[in-house]
Amino acid sequence: MKKSNIATLIVFFLLIPVTLFFGSKLPGRGYYITGTAIILELMIPFFMAFEGKKPQARELVVIAVMCAIAIAARVAIPIPNFKAIFAVIMLSGIAFGPEAGFMVGAISAFASNFFYGQGPYTPWQMMAYGAGGMLAGFCFAKGRLPKKPLTMAVFGFLAVVLWVGPLLDTSSVFLMLSDINWNSLLLTYGAGLSVNISQAACTVLIMLLFGRPLLDKLDRIKVKYGMMEDENGL
Amino acid sequence: MADAFSKCHPAVNFLFFVGAIGMSVVIQHPAYLFAGIVTGAIYYLLLNGKKAWKTILSLLPMFLVLTVINPLFNTLGVTKLFEVFGRKYTIEALLYGAALASMFVIMMLWFGCYNKVLTSDKFTCLFGNLIPSISLLLLMVFRMVPNFIRKTQQIIGARMSIGKGISETATTKEKIQDGGTVLGALTSWALEGSVVTGDSMRARGYGAAKRSSFMIYRMTGTDWILLVVMLVLLGVTIAAAFFGQFVATFVPAIDIAPVSWGLAAYTCYLLIPTALHIKEAFQWHISRSKI
Repeated sequence: MKKSNIATLIVFFLLIPVTLFFGSKLPGRGYYITGTAIILELMIPFFMAFEGKKPQARELVVIAVMCAIAIAARVAIPIPNFKAIFAVIMLSGIAFGPEAGFMVGAISAFASNFFYGQGPYTPWQMMAYGAGGMLAGFCFAKGRLPKKPLTMAVFGFLAVVLWVGPLLDTSSVFLMLSDINWNSLLLTYGAGLSVNISQAACTVLIMLLFGRPLLDKLDRIKVKYGMMEDENGL
Repeated sequence: MADAFSKCHPAVNFLFFVGAIGMSVVIQHPAYLFAGIVTGAIYYLLLNGKKAWKTILSLLPMFLVLTVINPLFNTLGVTKLFEVFGRKYTIEALLYGAALASMFVIMMLWFGCYNKVLTSDKFTCLFGNLIPSISLLLLMVFRMVPNFIRKTQQIIGARMSIGKGISETATTKEKIQDGGTVLGALTSWALEGSVVTGDSMRARGYGAAKRSSFMIYRMTGTDWILLVVMLVLLGVTIAAAFFGQFVATFVPAIDIAPVSWGLAAYTCYLLIPTALHIKEAFQWHISRSKI
């Protein structure tokens, strides 16, 4: 059995139950620390799988380039609060497969926080973007969804509003609320919704206007140099 | 002057912040919270100088908002102050809100220090052996981001010189359209370059053998002493937690454990970087006055 598979089993059947057990006994921010620990544990198998397959130099550099573009994109479009990061992550996932999508998402979230400041939200952001990129890669692989601007835009909107945003809001719920009940949840998620929708709108705009041309550029590199071909298996 | 704690081994730095931030999440005893805020603020000030005041003061409104919001949702508590929308607004819940807001402030302060001390090179150095591919990936991203930002500005400049730049008065639509074109140009250039880099790495033997990593930091005698002191203090603090010294419940009634030796250990632990910093500043002062 592969190392990463063993790690997955250990995480699911040992680490997470143990964390939940001890987490329920913690005082104070028990929810936050338990949630963060579980998020970190869930990411271990992904990173181990990536390490375990000893990525080729080309693959490594392409992932690094996509991360750097995701972070640097905010310089290209000089509008405050216009975040292109998730659009770039999604496109990487669609072009280079789910695994690359996860790595680009998680690493760009982590690396961008070295420029803008790490915080208690870092692991949540890594998971949100990483899983978002992976989901995009999975849904558009093998022609499951057509790679058309409109489908990509709808997918991007739903991914931000239903997954990336709420996950980040959950970290602030655990951080800031003392008593988790329907009222307080509704207020926090409601307050987050406007930010999430504006970020989703950015993703939609980029997908509609430049989704296809950018994707063509990524595909062209793939065809030209014959890269990441074994990744379409999933 | 450089910070003395920042010059220690990254493992010592990392462990300290895991302890400091980890403890801040579980503690809600007012005395411990106070110690956490004061020590965090002092170290943050030492690291960042005068401009740190701005950050610290900006945490104050955050603290107040989080404090007054809590009783709106948490109606437990016995001493009623007044009613909002027919719900009790209790003093216990207000104090509980203050405790939770303090936790948040402590976390922000110590994360601020973490960002200053544990720089990206230290992180990749620390985890270079454990996750070699990912640290290499991170290292490349750190190099590429400034590079790409520079390239983006070059592309924008080049477009401007052929009359395709955007003016200050451009509409949002024009800005987005232009930004997309720039992003496309950057993507093409970067991806072509990435293949060249990748091939060049392979030609020089990447992946041919186990990669060794460059270690600029060595565990010195001071580092070992610090590590032992830190582990002892952290151990004592955790022991104090098991003896129930951290217990502080606010709702429905206030019940706070008396302050004991746990607080001393916790405060000493959090004062380690500050103490090092002051010790070094002092020594520097003495050695200068000798000349």
